[in-house]
Amino acid sequence: MLKATIDADILKESIDAISALVTECRLHTDENGLSTRAVDTANVAMVSLTLKKEAFSAFESTKGEIGLDIAKLKNIFGMMGKNDLISLELPEDGHKLKVSFEGYRYSITLLDPNTIRKDPNPPNIDLPGKVVLSGNDLYNSIKAAAVVSDKIALGIDAAQQLFFMAAEGDTDHIRREFGKSEVNFLNGIEARSLFSLDYLKDMGRVMGRADEVEVSLGIDHPAKFAFYIAGGQGYVEYLLAPRIEAD
Amino acid sequence: MGVAFRDILTEFRDTVGWEALAGVAAVDAHNALYQFLSIIRQPDGTPLMDQEGRTTSHLSGILFRTANFLEKGIRPVWVFDGTPPDFKQETIEVRRAIRDRAGERWQDALERGDIAEAYKQARSSSRIDENVIGTSQELLSLLGIPCVQAPSEGEAQAAHMVEKGDAGYVVSQDYDTLLFGAPVLVRNLAVSGKRKVRGRTISVYPERILLSDVLKGLALTRSDLVRVALLVGTDFNSGIKGVGAKTALRMVQRGEFEQTMRERLPDTEWEAIMEFFLAPPATDSYSLHWNAPDREGIIRMLCDRFDFSQERIQKALDSMGAKAGQKTLDSWFS
Repeated sequence: MLKATIDADILKESIDAISALVTECRLHTDENGLSTRAVDTANVAMVSLTLKKEAFSAFESTKGEIGLDIAKLKNIFGMMGKNDLISLELPEDGHKLKVSFEGYRYSITLLDPNTIRKDPNPPNIDLPGKVVLSGNDLYNSIKAAAVVSDKIALGIDAAQQLFFMAAEGDTDHIRREFGKSEVNFLNGIEARSLFSLDYLKDMGRVMGRADEVEVSLGIDHPAKFAFYIAGGQGYVEYLLAPRIEAD
Repeated sequence: MGVAFRDILTEFRDTVGWEALAGVAAVDAHNALYQFLSIIRQPDGTPLMDQEGRTTSHLSGILFRTANFLEKGIRPVWVFDGTPPDFKQETIEVRRAIRDRAGERWQDALERGDIAEAYKQARSSSRIDENVIGTSQELLSLLGIPCVQAPSEGEAQAAHMVEKGDAGYVVSQDYDTLLFGAPVLVRNLAVSGKRKVRGRTISVYPERILLSDVLKGLALTRSDLVRVALLVGTDFNSGIKGVGAKTALRMVQRGEFEQTMRERLPDTEWEAIMEFFLAPPATDSYSLHWNAPDREGIIRMLCDRFDFSQERIQKALDSMGAKAGQKTLDSWFS
């Protein structure tokens, strides 16, 4: 059973965070809120999201699992006005989620959770390099890199105490460095890995709205991007596998 | 095929994880194609075929192996055989006879309804013809995988590319590659992790053999290793009946090679073969570039022309992530 009311913006923000990587997910519900963890079809990136009940204006739920068609839900967003209050309702053992706002009443058929990929286990990765910067700075650098290449190197230069991103195209090159004064936190542990911009562009669009994004890096390791949504009542973590550095 | 070295190499074969294999791999094309053609068959030995009866086992093998390689961060370059040396002629004729005979026995077994025998004979009848090579190269090019044409033996060219540092290792099941001087040989890179050995299916793991370990461990020079091979028999000479790798190794270590060759294989012109192993023809004129797979081209070729299921091909293409070199999170999930 789920019965909740939520601000349209917060719902959109949460669904956007998931839809950057997957088109469907298993949403876990309990009395404290919602959570999901999903990996994209190519096994390259993972999203984990938790939304506390405090993110809702009203929230009541039993423990359950919902198979959500993210793509379908996104289409409905077009109809929602900013600051609309959205009501979500799912009866015990129900298979249709009622979504109502501004006089519209949608009934959305849910997916059988068993047909959706199992939740991955939380991976155990040691990513010693850390930097905290504004989501906007991060997204801008991603966009800049995408102009010249399809991949980007993210790293920390321990000697210079810098966070850097660099993209190498066939003909052009771009590099952006952030010194300690430009970021909110930096531990200068040497790190560098290469990532696909196809993924980062989609993730960046979501991260661009966060005040702060904590980026964790290693050497030829995945990158972790963690940030709060829903005014601090929701938390998102992206994990992105690296590309192999070309010689 | 290849030299029967297994007995003396056991302790030098190190099992390695896929993650250690990321990088450029020089694939012995004929060895891989022969594997695909002999293994990818139905239980009665019939290979994968399109509606017109053209064999497609090799195309299936190439697609799925390439998808697996790219997913694991391995960038393959396929090395194809050129003109075989004159002294291989005899071996080639013997093999052709074996294949022809196996083909006849396969048909006999089918008529008798002996499925197990039919499968066995069908495998032995596998042949790599111009059509197989042509369609293989066409598919590899659509996959964005570079092909290199060896002047002579593909294994020798592959070994040369590893020696030069253009590739990290040779992928082949044959130990001959070591005779040609490949510093690193990797075996068992099948997608399934399974291999059919004498009718049984066994699990196999990638294994790596370093030439330097072998030479040091056996206290041999590379010429000595070739001498051992000549006694056992290579692709270019039939060895001495009853002499296996261990016996041959002892003979070479005791310095009895020349005498033994003179007495037991007087007609073998081993000097020329030895020279061929130690300094095989190889070329430096190749370029290694990997391109993104041409999804539409691959579907046109495999689904429209060769009747593959669109769904299976699509899935394989998806798993390639359309991008070579992209790692997956698998390596980090426990």
